[in-house]
Amino acid sequence: MEFRYSNIEREMEVYGYDSYVKSHCRMCHGGCGVIVYMKNGKVAKIAGDPECPIAHGTLCAKGLASAQLAYHKDRLTYPVKRVGPKASGKWERISWDEALDTLAQRILDYKEKYGPESIVFGYGTGRENEAVIYRIANLLGSPNVLTAGHFCYGPRICTSIITCGTNPIVNYENFPRCIMVWGNNITISNPDEYKGEPFSVALDKGAKLIVVDPRLTRPAARADVWLRLRPGTDAALALGMLHVIIQEELYDKEFVETYTHGWEPFVQRVKEYPLDRVEEMTWIPKEKIITAARLFATTKPAAIQWGVAIEQQINCADNDRLLMALMGITGNIDAPGGQVLNRPPNVVNVGQFGAHGMLSREQFAKRLGGERFRLASRFAILQPKCVWDAILEEKPYPVKMLFLISSNPVATRANAREVYQALEKVEFMAVSDFFLTPTAELADIVLPAATWLEMDYIGDYWKRHGYLLPRRKVIQVGECRSDHEMLNDLAGRIGQGEYWWENFEQALDYILHPMNITWKEFKKMNYLRGEVKYYKYKEAGFSTPTRKFELYSTVLEKMGYDPLPQYREPPESPVSAPDLYKEYPYLLITGARMPGFFHTENRQIRRLRDLHRDPIVEIHPETAAKERIREGDWVIIESPRGKVKQRAQFNLSLDPRVVAAQHAWWFPEKKDPGHGWDESNINILTDNRLETCDPAMGASNIRTLLCRIYPALKEGKNHE
Amino acid sequence: MNKYALIIEEFACWGCKTCEVACQQEFNPIEEPNGIKYLSVWQDGPRFIDERLDVIWRVRVCKHCEDPPCVPVCPDQAIQKREDGIVILDDKRCTGCQLCMERCPFGAIFFDEEKKTAAKCNLCYHRVDKGLYPACADNVCLAHCIYFGNPAEIEKEILEKKKARASWKKDSA
Repeated sequence: MEFRYSNIEREMEVYGYDSYVKSHCRMCHGGCGVIVYMKNGKVAKIAGDPECPIAHGTLCAKGLASAQLAYHKDRLTYPVKRVGPKASGKWERISWDEALDTLAQRILDYKEKYGPESIVFGYGTGRENEAVIYRIANLLGSPNVLTAGHFCYGPRICTSIITCGTNPIVNYENFPRCIMVWGNNITISNPDEYKGEPFSVALDKGAKLIVVDPRLTRPAARADVWLRLRPGTDAALALGMLHVIIQEELYDKEFVETYTHGWEPFVQRVKEYPLDRVEEMTWIPKEKIITAARLFATTKPAAIQWGVAIEQQINCADNDRLLMALMGITGNIDAPGGQVLNRPPNVVNVGQFGAHGMLSREQFAKRLGGERFRLASRFAILQPKCVWDAILEEKPYPVKMLFLISSNPVATRANAREVYQALEKVEFMAVSDFFLTPTAELADIVLPAATWLEMDYIGDYWKRHGYLLPRRKVIQVGECRSDHEMLNDLAGRIGQGEYWWENFEQALDYILHPMNITWKEFKKMNYLRGEVKYYKYKEAGFSTPTRKFELYSTVLEKMGYDPLPQYREPPESPVSAPDLYKEYPYLLITGARMPGFFHTENRQIRRLRDLHRDPIVEIHPETAAKERIREGDWVIIESPRGKVKQRAQFNLSLDPRVVAAQHAWWFPEKKDPGHGWDESNINILTDNRLETCDPAMGASNIRTLLCRIYPALKEGKNHE
Repeated sequence: MNKYALIIEEFACWGCKTCEVACQQEFNPIEEPNGIKYLSVWQDGPRFIDERLDVIWRVRVCKHCEDPPCVPVCPDQAIQKREDGIVILDDKRCTGCQLCMERCPFGAIFFDEEKKTAAKCNLCYHRVDKGLYPACADNVCLAHCIYFGNPAEIEKEILEKKKARASWKKDSA
């Protein structure tokens, strides 16, 4: 018998499905083509689409459980308004018209009384709703869109634009021969632009592997070199590697001479980080740093698979810039099998669609935190604490309304107690989401958002891998609406009608019009790809002010920042806070990714929750013995900000001084309106004072801090 | 006669657990929030394996043994090995005595609490017999480490992969 992957015809015949729809998953960062089989008007099965150019028909646990999200019994399927105090859990069903009219009235009132800047829109790791949210905010005149952009993906976009014009993407299709995975567990997180599949294939082709991670992930276990750094010292390690590459002249001389800006001062800066110093900073023996640097610099092509862990630190922007320097001076930028500056298909881009050009200079100048975090602000990114301060202290002006769309900041933003206070205080809050999350429980109105199965959209619209893929609507659940349609409707009610459309399909036509195709035509296609071309800089230079690869950033210099990357000691470390370290004697790292979850999402989907019942804190067995913690015990983790509990799991691969906790936990099964938001939520412990953030991006330093740990029993709490 | 096997190259597994959810999708209606699955992925380590600190993911699933020890112990002849190599546990004949579970050296036979019978991977024979890959092996795995087909050919394919993984490393040595 002949077997074929995802054999659609036979599946249809054997299972008697009525139809199938090809679409594009968005349970995480997107990218994966899927086949959705239908029976009696409902999703019956989800499979991968082997024709997808990104994941090649492979999927993840989340994608396969999409229907369990769409049809979940607790899902919000109609708009509701709160009829009791905040977090009372008292809700009443209302119509879409009432919901959107209420929102529109509030927006217009606040705009008139306090200015449009008093209305803050927001999203989390967006569901490709970024462009519409920016559009409505900019057209309203509000410079304030609160996103995860200060410490997630935004920094890669901002720093790459100022360094080399766009985000350099690992070119897996041409098989890098050396991959350096830095602060990323790609096969679990499937991050922006990347999927674990092409990475796996590259390793199967024989790519050498270097992994930088404080934990032994499976990629680290398979690596030729695993660099177990002291958490938060990524920049020092990168500078150490650059030191080796420069000293041993392993860099690409032609690239450096012809295409970089600021080589001489850059070399001087790197010389400030001799290996003895770097070894002391990073806890990595210098011999290992040398081995890794040589391997990376001498194997061609080579690529760096970077992850969000390097961005959620005080060194955020410089970490990104240093890794780009490593890519650049080794000649791997825009090289096949290296890191490519992809061209997207010729469509209306996210910046244009987001109507950033329509925001007046006067309103731009009012962006919260804009004077402090100037790089972020240039790219329309906010530091969240600036919003909480504006709510709680009304400084520099009051924020009266929040509209959070796919965001659960009480679990995902630093210093969660302060976030909670701000959301309790804000005068009016609307949320669009799938469930009544702990954040939504503080809202005045909650709108039922559509999942990816319930919308037409141009998938991966703002990604930099050069592809666009159609997301085709498969089902309708209750009264749920996509954020795009909802905002298109709301925009009309606040007087923006002339800039929006009768229905959102026309917006999709508008995005596609430079290609001379309509949504209906695109829907019939598998995907669009931009022009594939390598070494484009050799003809046109880089899209930077100097047309060069800016090792020395003229943009940051103009903004008043150090134009050269440097290492800053984490704000809470044995070195920077020795007195605190006596009281809090462990380095806490947070946020290792778990299969099945996407930040705070999916904890109510039983097939996925079954993979991780409880929050887990990983502790070295020696440390556990010292603290009288047994495996499986509930453990209190405490920082100067507060304490939470997670369950102990031993991990021999950690430095005994390091403890690793999971992030984004809440408990949808707890039916009180708090849903256990502060029991295991690691952001109760993290710091958000502005001086602890990256000075240019405003990234909160949530990945490494100091903590103490002890068994929960000691506190008299239940031992389960 | 074709010989069928399900072979998982654990070396390449990343522990993403997609196969677990794929199995669950196959055997439970979409409305069922959780339900039975016949394989599970678990983390072995970090620990010292061959003097190297290692962590590896293991997949617990019926190996459809050449000479399956579970077959003879079943007092109800509920477990049979087919000529094509697939070992099938027929839950209609199973009385739930659990002898097979004790005998399986891989711990790959589970107890279905709802049906009160033993349960294990039957290699999706309902699919295989209709020319479809088993649910977990139908290209869901992003590591491409789940193989279905003729065992000799699979072993050859894995060997080729191992060679390729080592090839570039040798170049530079």
